[in-house]
Amino acid sequence: MSRTNIWLWSAAGVIYAFLYVPLAIVVLYSFNDSKLNAEWVGFTLSWYKTLFQNTEMLTAARNSLIIALSASFSATLLGTMAGLAIHRYKLKVLPVLVFTPVAMPEILLGVSLLLFFLQVLNLTLGMVSIIIAHTTFCIGFVAIIVRARLQGMDESIFEAARDLGASPWQTFRLVTLPLIIPAVVAGALMSFTLSIDDFVITFFTKGVGEPILPIHIYTMIKVAVTPEVNAISTLLMLLTLVMIIIAARFESHASSSANATSRETG
Amino acid sequence: MMNTRCTHPAPVASLLFLLAWLVLFTTGCAKQDQDAVLSSKENVLHLFNWNNYIAPETVRRFEKSCNCKLSQDYYSDNEEMLAKLSAGATGYDLIIPTGNAMDTLIRQGALKSLDKTLLPNLGNINPAYLDTPFDPGNKYSVPYAYTLTLLGFNQEKVKSLGLPTDTWAVIFEPKYLEKIKGRVTVLDSQRELMAAALKYLGYSVNDTDEKHWEEAANLIVRAKPYWAAFSNTSYIKELAVGNLWVAQGYSNDMFQAALDARNTGRKFTIGYSTPKEGAVLALDSMVLHRSGSRSDLAHQFINFMLEGKNSAELTNLIGSGNPNMDAIQYIQAGIADNKAIFPAPEILNHLEMLRDLDRKQRRVLSRLWTEIKLR
Amino acid sequence: MTKEEANAPRAARFLVSGPPLLFLIVFFVVPSLIMILTSFRFPGEFGGLAPITAPAGANHGEYGLTTEAYQFFFSDILYAEIFLKSFGVALATTLICLVMAYPLAVLIAHSEKRFRNLMVLLVVLPFASNFLIRIYAWMIILGPESGLSHFINAILGAFGVAPVTLLFSPFAVLIGMVYVHLPFMVLPLYTNLEKHDPSLLDAAQDLGANGWQRFWRVTWPLSLPGVFSGSALVFIPVLGMFAVPDILGGTGDILIGNLIKDQFLGTRDWPFGSALSIMLTLVVLSVAGLAAWFARSATGQRAV
Repeated sequence: MSRTNIWLWSAAGVIYAFLYVPLAIVVLYSFNDSKLNAEWVGFTLSWYKTLFQNTEMLTAARNSLIIALSASFSATLLGTMAGLAIHRYKLKVLPVLVFTPVAMPEILLGVSLLLFFLQVLNLTLGMVSIIIAHTTFCIGFVAIIVRARLQGMDESIFEAARDLGASPWQTFRLVTLPLIIPAVVAGALMSFTLSIDDFVITFFTKGVGEPILPIHIYTMIKVAVTPEVNAISTLLMLLTLVMIIIAARFESHASSSANATSRETG
Repeated sequence: MMNTRCTHPAPVASLLFLLAWLVLFTTGCAKQDQDAVLSSKENVLHLFNWNNYIAPETVRRFEKSCNCKLSQDYYSDNEEMLAKLSAGATGYDLIIPTGNAMDTLIRQGALKSLDKTLLPNLGNINPAYLDTPFDPGNKYSVPYAYTLTLLGFNQEKVKSLGLPTDTWAVIFEPKYLEKIKGRVTVLDSQRELMAAALKYLGYSVNDTDEKHWEEAANLIVRAKPYWAAFSNTSYIKELAVGNLWVAQGYSNDMFQAALDARNTGRKFTIGYSTPKEGAVLALDSMVLHRSGSRSDLAHQFINFMLEGKNSAELTNLIGSGNPNMDAIQYIQAGIADNKAIFPAPEILNHLEMLRDLDRKQRRVLSRLWTEIKLR
Repeated sequence: MTKEEANAPRAARFLVSGPPLLFLIVFFVVPSLIMILTSFRFPGEFGGLAPITAPAGANHGEYGLTTEAYQFFFSDILYAEIFLKSFGVALATTLICLVMAYPLAVLIAHSEKRFRNLMVLLVVLPFASNFLIRIYAWMIILGPESGLSHFINAILGAFGVAPVTLLFSPFAVLIGMVYVHLPFMVLPLYTNLEKHDPSLLDAAQDLGANGWQRFWRVTWPLSLPGVFSGSALVFIPVLGMFAVPDILGGTGDILIGNLIKDQFLGTRDWPFGSALSIMLTLVVLSVAGLAAWFARSATGQRAV
């Protein structure tokens, strides 16, 4: 048994290394005093300095943040409603519409939205088109998370509320909502991350003149690769790391309070 | 009574603070630079232009003269530009398309006609470049510059290998390609690469006979294994640092590569010449797109570029051909008698301008191109 | 219950399911229908689309609806080849991900509970970084000036083999695809393996089965639903990917996603691009259907 364990542990170790070494190299070379990402020359912060003087990059970052905030707001709102509806009611159409965008290749969604915006809405592509597009594919993720949380809950709480004479709205406001808040927040954070990182759908639905961060990074990668790309990558990784940590802490606080709650009523 | 309030507000609050700070920080830093440059932020002229097709000094002088800001987006291929415009790219005041692409734009009704009263310098243009079949009477366009698609090469390497430099054979014939395998690139452009192949086979670049196209495609597929890549922009740098020895490219890009090689003190020089079988001549013109909002600034730009001095600056700095008669006096001697930039009359006979294809032909070409890429 | 109270649940139902339903109908269903319609139209003479109704006096052959785009698709084996190629890459990626993810998922499932969340988090964390960064990282590692390239070419040189470029090759595309999709395989597998009853393995051991037999006769069949979910979560996105071949691949490494992108942002052939997208959708639906069918029949064969 211990022999298989050694094999398992080494295999796992190799795979964890495979996952992290490439990213570590990106971070490492963001501090490398050399234009080529080839070998270590010396430590420098100059790439971060040029980054903060790169107005186009900063505008792109600002645009991406605005889009991510707007898209995650609307996706969380609509996704939570969808998750609730799918869990509570026996719906046939909504689950299909909600979960298909999650499973489909992104290019299909990007292309169909491009056609839709141009032909039907005659909309000038820009921030609005991107926000709508991001909301569409984020709804599914939020709905999945919210529904999973609802599925794990004890139905008797809702029955108790109904027996006590609460209207559906009261049940939702005083019972359901507080219990699903961790899932809603997790969904919001997930939407935010997905939106700020999204490349494919943004590629097709963006307009011109407004830089968006992933597209800007893509152009830098394809045309002129300097370690500035490493610097912005490192910063982005840091941002998502911080968000995940905050989400995890929120989740553990909330679930410990939920445990306390069920212990009280159970 | 159940404790139904969600507990820890701290993580959520810290998150919101972080995000708010990020938005303000990036907005602040981004705006700072712009405000420093502009007197009025609304004075922006949006230009959709080829890569490397205007000198930074020219941009700066124009911005000073008009008290405005020039904002540029780039493309490296006419097809790319047309596709982006078709896909809803709006807000451009000025575009600089090649003749055949301009043909398409005019027929789509996508351009605004020019107000000639705002263009007193129009008389500077050599009449030979006016009244093209694409835009008779120049209702929409003013010639900007012209380039040739030709061969650039590392002169020392090519000489030592005994390769000819005046024929397309050097990128199509295996007997030459063997010596430069992996050191040669061609343009990543359906029309340009096919044009070179058609010219080498003795056909016109605007030949639409499918059999001739198949011939050209076979020629390309036979040569492909020897090519390093299909490249529209990176060949400039690769030639200048010595990684590439031969490249199909645009005359002004080759000029840039030669300049870069000289300035960085390389031990080799970059030369470029027009193949004797013929080549594509691209006349690029300035046009006003109907989605632009500042036609006043656009006309100012056109008139500015029509001045001999500014037009010559373009040629002197990027090595493009110049249709402006007033500019000749300002062009540096070394460039004015460069036959690859200002072709001699006997070469001019072998140069052709590309015409646009109809949709059926575009589809056939696209399938050929996919096959070329895949085989 | 009064009439209002009986209606309240129905009103609540509309209020809750209505907005997301409306939003998705407008921004998901309608665009999909538009895409289907576009695949049956003629491309415009200068890009875009030809109008459906012919203007007065115009040649009716060039307007209206047509199956021309689909005929074009089937007119040359070339496009089927590209589909097959994308299929092959997706299959290879899925298998490699499966081989790599399985040991990891087993390890996490058998670890002590307090470590499990951390280990899962460590798997998911790279996924949280920007997708392009993960591809760019491999540009660095496989680039011609990198340590890895020098190392491999030195070895090849010792055997007298010409140096190879690792980057811009099918190999680079495959690595990129695996790297981007590995976490998608690990999570469903782990979720499934966690639920296995350890006493089954003990029983098998008591009955004399060795390590390999325990895995092949007990663990593997029980894990099949997880295997299929994970495989679907990798296979389907890989089919439609264009960014990885675009950045890491050479000129010949185009997949179906690149072809679709070219039709919209290069050749201006929207009907053909839409037709290709519809074909891709059909392939994806078939794969998803197959995966669901296998998962159901695999669950039916569960050991008692």
